[in-house]
Amino acid sequence: MILEFFRRGDSAMDQIDARVATMINDARHSFDLATAAVLSGADAAQMREEVEKTDHRINEAEQQLRQELVVHVAVQGSSDIGTVLGLTLLIKKIERIGDQAKNILDLTDEGVSLVGAPDLDGFLADRTTISDMFTETASLLTDPDEEKVADFRRRADDLRHHCEGKVREFMHSDEPGHYAVPRAILYRYWKRIAANLMGVVTTAVEPVQYIDYTDHGATDITDD
Amino acid sequence: MTIANPKSRTRLEMPGPVRSVLVFALIYLFLVGVSMLEAGIKDMGADTQEQLFAPVNNPLAGLFIGILGTVLVQSSSASTSVIVGLVASQALGVEQAVPMIMGANIGTTVTNTLVSLGHLRASAEFKRAFAAATVHDFFNVFAVVVLLPVELATGLISGIAKGISGALVGSSGSEWESPIKASVKAPVGWIESIWESLGLTNNPLGIAMVATGLVIVLLALTLITGNMRRLVADRVERTLNAVLGKGAGFVAMIVGLVITIAVQSSSITTSILIPLTAAGVLTLRNAYPVTLGANVGTTITALLASLATGSTDSLTVALVHTTFNVMGILLLYVVPFARELPIKSAERLAEVAVSRRQWAIAYVVVVFIAIPALGVAFLR
Repeated sequence: MILEFFRRGDSAMDQIDARVATMINDARHSFDLATAAVLSGADAAQMREEVEKTDHRINEAEQQLRQELVVHVAVQGSSDIGTVLGLTLLIKKIERIGDQAKNILDLTDEGVSLVGAPDLDGFLADRTTISDMFTETASLLTDPDEEKVADFRRRADDLRHHCEGKVREFMHSDEPGHYAVPRAILYRYWKRIAANLMGVVTTAVEPVQYIDYTDHGATDITDD
Repeated sequence: MTIANPKSRTRLEMPGPVRSVLVFALIYLFLVGVSMLEAGIKDMGADTQEQLFAPVNNPLAGLFIGILGTVLVQSSSASTSVIVGLVASQALGVEQAVPMIMGANIGTTVTNTLVSLGHLRASAEFKRAFAAATVHDFFNVFAVVVLLPVELATGLISGIAKGISGALVGSSGSEWESPIKASVKAPVGWIESIWESLGLTNNPLGIAMVATGLVIVLLALTLITGNMRRLVADRVERTLNAVLGKGAGFVAMIVGLVITIAVQSSSITTSILIPLTAAGVLTLRNAYPVTLGANVGTTITALLASLATGSTDSLTVALVHTTFNVMGILLLYVVPFARELPIKSAERLAEVAVSRRQWAIAYVVVVFIAIPALGVAFLR
């Protein structure tokens, strides 16, 4: 502990950044496992153990990061206050993605499995798109190129609308409930995950008051 | 890596090596200031010195002057350095300086208590913050209550300090060849010549030198603290992160010691702890040993100041500051029952303060201003 003082190393904020990147990777891991159980028939019990372990890690990281952000403000003063507020919102979004992955996995408790379903390819394609967005999110946080961020936000918004369209489609579907309801719920979670990833990336470029909103605060992007 | 509003992370910063050189220059300036205090007092006549320092012949008056002086400059580093300079000029004896040093130890706790008042509007936060701040007050007051009578009766603390300084540089009352004193002699002489060229001699010259020395000491210490804080902020942050949640004890104490030596101010260290305890990130029991480490760490400044004087008695007084704080820890931290006294007292006071907020403000005014002021007025 004391040697930490004399050690040369990254700034504490760099360490916080690295921990945030790890949280995103963990969230992706949970998402991949949960969707593998629903879409690819992976053993749900085995997936649950790993998802819960990962979720526990995400929750611990969130708490640790909150502590470290308080220490940062106490030691460094208010010069990074925008960053600190942005990070507190950002880590909550990542933690929610971890919870949403668990919610997806919970569908298997009700016997939901889309293995062999006629519309499986569409689900798999969307899952791959979302999974790749996690990696892209981590990358954009470390190197927030404005054009790439704008492109990401556009695609994430399109995905969000696509998922929302799917939810509506299944709500009005003539298919039986055991067919339409799990699909609607799955798309609902994916829509939330896409919105949360979009929110995470937004923190890299937007002033703190506009995080979670688009059009300079006019449109709410997470709670719709 | 840059997360969240990267623009806010890009600030114009002085390069580390440049800042390090600046700090060394400021330390030199600080030593010049201490040496000027010594020279200024010596410029005054013996009668003036007698009149100036007669009040501190009463140890309680000395204690209260130490508290008031430190509250005034908000830094025990500054007040103890001034005391060291006064001892070097022989205007003040070791025996007179010891209660003043103890008073400075109490006075310095006002800063983090004031910081805790910033949380007045949020009850839970304020309760934690005020307890974390006043545990420092209680520790120092209890230490003085026990150790000042012991010192007055037996000379234990000054005896230990004299033993150490004697072993290091020679016997009491003597001068030792301090290379630092030699290095600051020239600038002190130049400034003295400037005042002399304006026609000042004896008392006016002494007053001008003391005033200039005080300004230099306070300015240099403020700038040293500010620059060192910037230089080591990341290290402090990493170290505190490592300490959080890993318990308390002597390791936390050493962390407080190291951080305080680095930033040259116990007020900085203890004031950082207040928002952490207020937010609940750090518990009172974990913050307490960090505070005690800071209490010892802050004595480095007076030790440094004594190097500029070449006076064995100055070194002794600086060592009294260290010895007093170490003995306080042995008495009030190592003994498990005694360890609870400052903690329980601080928790109890925080409970009272949170139910009647005006009592918290009254506590600061009474303990740090009214009692010392009345004490000085009546005991001088």
